Amino acid sequence: MSDTPQIGQSRPGVIHDLGYRHYDGVRDGTPTIARTLFVTGLRHAYGLGRSGKSKVMPFLLLGMSVLPALIVVGVVVLTGGSALPISYADYTNQTQLLVSLFAAAQAPVLFSRDLRHRSIVLYLARPLAAPVFSMVRWLSLTVAVWLFMAVPTLLLYLGALLAGIDKSDQTTSWLKAVVLQVLLAMMIAGITGLISSVSLRRGFAVVGSVMALIVLTGVITAVQAISADQDAASAATAVGLFSPWSLYNGLANAWDAGVDTFAPVEGAWPLAYALVAVLLVGGCLLGLVARFRKVGSR
Amino acid sequence: MPRAGRAASVTDVTGELIGPGPVITTAGLTKHYGAVHALTDLTVEVGSGVTGLVGANGAGKSTLIKILLGLLEPTGGHARVLGHDIEHDGQEIRRLVGYMPEHDCLPPDVSASDFTVHMARMSGLGASAARERAADVLRHVGLDEERYRPMGGYSTGMKQRAKLAQALAHDPQLVFLDEPTNGLDPAARNDMLDLVKRIGSDFGIAVLVTSHLLGELEQVSDHVIVLDGGHLLRSSATGDFLQRTGSLLVEVVGTETERDRLGEALAQRGLTCRPRGPMVAIDPPPPELAAEGVAHDLVRDVAAELGLGLMRLQPDRRHLEDVFLDGGTHV
Repeated sequence: MSDTPQIGQSRPGVIHDLGYRHYDGVRDGTPTIARTLFVTGLRHAYGLGRSGKSKVMPFLLLGMSVLPALIVVGVVVLTGGSALPISYADYTNQTQLLVSLFAAAQAPVLFSRDLRHRSIVLYLARPLAAPVFSMVRWLSLTVAVWLFMAVPTLLLYLGALLAGIDKSDQTTSWLKAVVLQVLLAMMIAGITGLISSVSLRRGFAVVGSVMALIVLTGVITAVQAISADQDAASAATAVGLFSPWSLYNGLANAWDAGVDTFAPVEGAWPLAYALVAVLLVGGCLLGLVARFRKVGSR
Repeated sequence: MPRAGRAASVTDVTGELIGPGPVITTAGLTKHYGAVHALTDLTVEVGSGVTGLVGANGAGKSTLIKILLGLLEPTGGHARVLGHDIEHDGQEIRRLVGYMPEHDCLPPDVSASDFTVHMARMSGLGASAARERAADVLRHVGLDEERYRPMGGYSTGMKQRAKLAQALAHDPQLVFLDEPTNGLDPAARNDMLDLVKRIGSDFGIAVLVTSHLLGELEQVSDHVIVLDGGHLLRSSATGDFLQRTGSLLVEVVGTETERDRLGEALAQRGLTCRPRGPMVAIDPPPPELAAEGVAHDLVRDVAAELGLGLMRLQPDRRHLEDVFLDGGTHV
């Protein structure tokens, strides 16, 4: 401590020693504080405002998911094709590995750090209460994941317009994809956020999220393929209720957004899919609020 | 006019300033975790200036602070902080107070500067105001160039300063400092205590500071509250703690032999003595020797008669244990 100046001593000759000054200015209300936290969280999810190293992973993954879209746009614009070779919703489905990895890698940034380093106590000793805090964190991750899916599809859409493909069809199809992406982002952010808030070691959190999103989805896809092969269409559809990706694909199929599933999702199934998706999001949010409230009071 | 003592002004329900009043009042505050009684029927008042909250580990100090912040719900009782009820106005209270927790709570990969700015914004300050305030408080707590380095590489003393800076970042009217001297070496401990004292006096911010060392709080606080096992043992002005002890400590040049010679000689003159380490502890003198300075003169004369070199003659400082031992009678 010898290199730090003595506190409590006035240091004559130091011109910037003005004594303690009180703050009489404006103090923002809770909504503004929540918005600040949201923007900070969104930036942190992409490594912005953090170290250079932490920008590598998100932007590398984003680059990998944008690259195929750029190639498709290039080909369509140059050859003057009359349709995109892939639908917007299906593009997100095809890049699901990258989306899942992005969420798994970045959720700990927003949900583990504050709990592991206990800085959550400092947040909760401020105006934002635990439920608001956890919801804002979830919203930051949701928007981050949604942007990750929306950027390549936006490029595809702009490319399609540039190539002179029928505008109204493309707009409808793209807007459907955007709605589905938002729902998917809400589910993925909820699942990865909850896992990261429980397993505070970054490695465990990432592995847990990969298990829940990638491995589980792989298993479900395999079961669906086998069921469809055995002509058990309703079994294939029912199994789809158990993963956010199969929910997304099922809803996209039912809504005619250009995604093929093993068995068509029709009848009462779309309603069941939508209901499960909403319940999944709600359950994750309740879990997150309970978790932050519990840790904050310790 | 500097706003020293502004925390002591409390507005009543009509919004009228009713002059200096308690910063914190609790009435029958109780917190039970199942069979564990963390706080039992605590009724206490805290005024402006520095108030020490002392007790052994597990005495309920941190629990009390968390209840006052609205982070924990009390099992029973009421409390008001800066005129706001903890049950209904938790958010308003958290806007006006600062909190320095006992345990580590700093992310290692962020600089103290960035972190303090962020925390000031989380308390409702705008971006530029937050930057200005953060620079100010970091200077006051004594973090200079190292404020731009990640906090993971900080010494314990620097971490405590950074924790204190974030608690002051939004210019609170009251700060809760939970064991601010924890883990500090003696020099850093004194720096921190000076700073705590300055927050209460120069900064005009009411302070509730906890410690398990009464001696430490005696140096800085105007008022001391002693908790034991969740019960209020005593709450009084710091001076009272010192006045109640009439004991003296005497040390003479030499070894235990000299110490014992002095003790025996003093005992013959009617003082009750006992050895304590290298010193002789003299119990409060009997009535005939109780007048101001009489016991001191006697010690001086006895030492001179025996030809012993008097090295130290000081009033005995009370220890926390003494308060616990006779605490029951003061409640």
